[in-house]
Amino acid sequence: MEIKNADWYDLLQDTNWTPKYVTEEELFPPQLSDPYGIPVSEWETFDEPYKVTYRDYVKTQREKDVGAYSVKAAVSRVDFYKQSDPGWKAVLQMHFGAVPFLEYGSVSAFARITRFGKGPGMRNMASFGTLDEIRHTQIQMYFAYEFLSVDRAFDWCQKGPNTDNWVIMSERHCFDDIEHTRDAVTSAVMLNFAFEQGFTNLQFVALSADAKRYGDFSFATMLQTVQSDEARHSQIGEPLIEILVRNGRKEEAQKLVDISFWRVWKQFSALSGIAFDYYTPLAHREFSLKEFVQEFVTTQFLRNLKALGLEKPWYWEEHFLPDVETYHHAQQIGIYMYRDTEWWDPIAGVSPQEREWLEKKYPGWNDTFGKVWDVITENAAQGRTERLTPTIIPVMCGMTGFELTGVAGSKWNVKDYTLDLDGRRYHFGSPVDKWIFEQDPARYKNYYGFTDRLANGMIPADEGLFEYMDMSPEERGTCGMGFKWADPVKRAA
Amino acid sequence: MSDTFALGCNYEGDYGLKMLYVSPDSTMKEVADIARQHIAGVFVAEPKPGVELRVRRHGEEEFLPESLKVSEAGFIQMDTVDIIHVSAAQA
Repeated sequence: MEIKNADWYDLLQDTNWTPKYVTEEELFPPQLSDPYGIPVSEWETFDEPYKVTYRDYVKTQREKDVGAYSVKAAVSRVDFYKQSDPGWKAVLQMHFGAVPFLEYGSVSAFARITRFGKGPGMRNMASFGTLDEIRHTQIQMYFAYEFLSVDRAFDWCQKGPNTDNWVIMSERHCFDDIEHTRDAVTSAVMLNFAFEQGFTNLQFVALSADAKRYGDFSFATMLQTVQSDEARHSQIGEPLIEILVRNGRKEEAQKLVDISFWRVWKQFSALSGIAFDYYTPLAHREFSLKEFVQEFVTTQFLRNLKALGLEKPWYWEEHFLPDVETYHHAQQIGIYMYRDTEWWDPIAGVSPQEREWLEKKYPGWNDTFGKVWDVITENAAQGRTERLTPTIIPVMCGMTGFELTGVAGSKWNVKDYTLDLDGRRYHFGSPVDKWIFEQDPARYKNYYGFTDRLANGMIPADEGLFEYMDMSPEERGTCGMGFKWADPVKRAA
Repeated sequence: MSDTFALGCNYEGDYGLKMLYVSPDSTMKEVADIARQHIAGVFVAEPKPGVELRVRRHGEEEFLPESLKVSEAGFIQMDTVDIIHVSAAQA
């Protein structure tokens, strides 16, 4: 006779241990578990919104896998890939190099929450989260590896995290900071609430919509099935924040959200923003980054924050909202021009029709970032390929690890926010990045980013740069369209 | 003294900061020229006729004298300079 979940779940959820052979503190060292001093009795009130048993989990996940893998099997992915638009190829190459290793890292983060979370319900959810992230790593690597026979870029699905490529360094810095080097409570607030609830919808739901419109049903299904797990295990954050707020730790919770939200925003702005606004073929774009952020982030996430009694991050109006309209546009210029430092083949995405779309979605684009593209486009149209590979290296922000950028062209506004500490000059692309550093200088001050390593000679500023990043000539990105995107301009001239 | 000096270069019109390698003996005029070689015609349009490039400390208003050397300017490694377009009449 099968016992109904409702008959036993609440009892099992509250099952806990009173240690007899070691102290509570030895079992749950504060620096790994809970440095906020919340009583165990409070942790035992942790009540996750989504409740699942192992039996149900296995059944559901199996069904999801059958769905995702069978769609993949039905469609010849290699042929689909070969015939894909260069922009769509760039989406896939970039995604599969940038994302799977982060999923794999999250396995460890969830496992740590499983071990060191003081709330039984929290540990239970985190154990399923661990399994989820193993699944996400496996499914994305499996999908990626199918393309290995036709494109060397997909080798970076596995190779990337073993290199010091600047993009990978940037990702490692961000996600090591928020989920791999903090106690279980802090990691859960930063990972589950700020990162997963705040942003995974962008990369996995919004991008899935674009994928469906493009006709890449296999990729769309894969993204959706990953996100269905995120929707469940990201719920760890909410009851956790409720407990923190109830126990007088609202200020701490707010700061954790403020730090993590911004750090992850920067990553997703570049990754998702460029995919939505430049790589996805024009006819198949669902919405712009700005519109997706409005739907998935500004509306939903702020609603969740308010429900928990937290405030909008302090930088929301003055720095975040303007950033939504500018940051990824600047990053796209650099990612295109410094394409040989990336493992994927970027495209420009600035044909006359695409520029018209960008101007419509981001009024003023032509007068700002468009001015830089005018120069690049003219060079491409005239065949001046020597000017399409820069001879100067960008300065990276000391927090994001991406180029330190601002607004180009007629409304030029690029600011270097600096900090001098212990005889060293740090550079930041925004007051928020600088503020994050200032919250805990000891955490960040000994890190040398890509620019720092160039400045101090750790990385040679010549061909040795590629050797440093472990990029053979064949692995370096090239223009996904062979500069043909400028042909309409050439013809019009 | 090392023969290379790294400056952060904020070139007017560009989308972001660049790393400029100059010599400690480079004058500000030479710093502007080196920046122009790498950035003008690649990211930002070439200066129009009658327009010069001047150097100032990042965020300040006053331009540094064109004959001032990097070693005399009091810069530290990776200090940031703005490179600004100025009409020859105003320079």
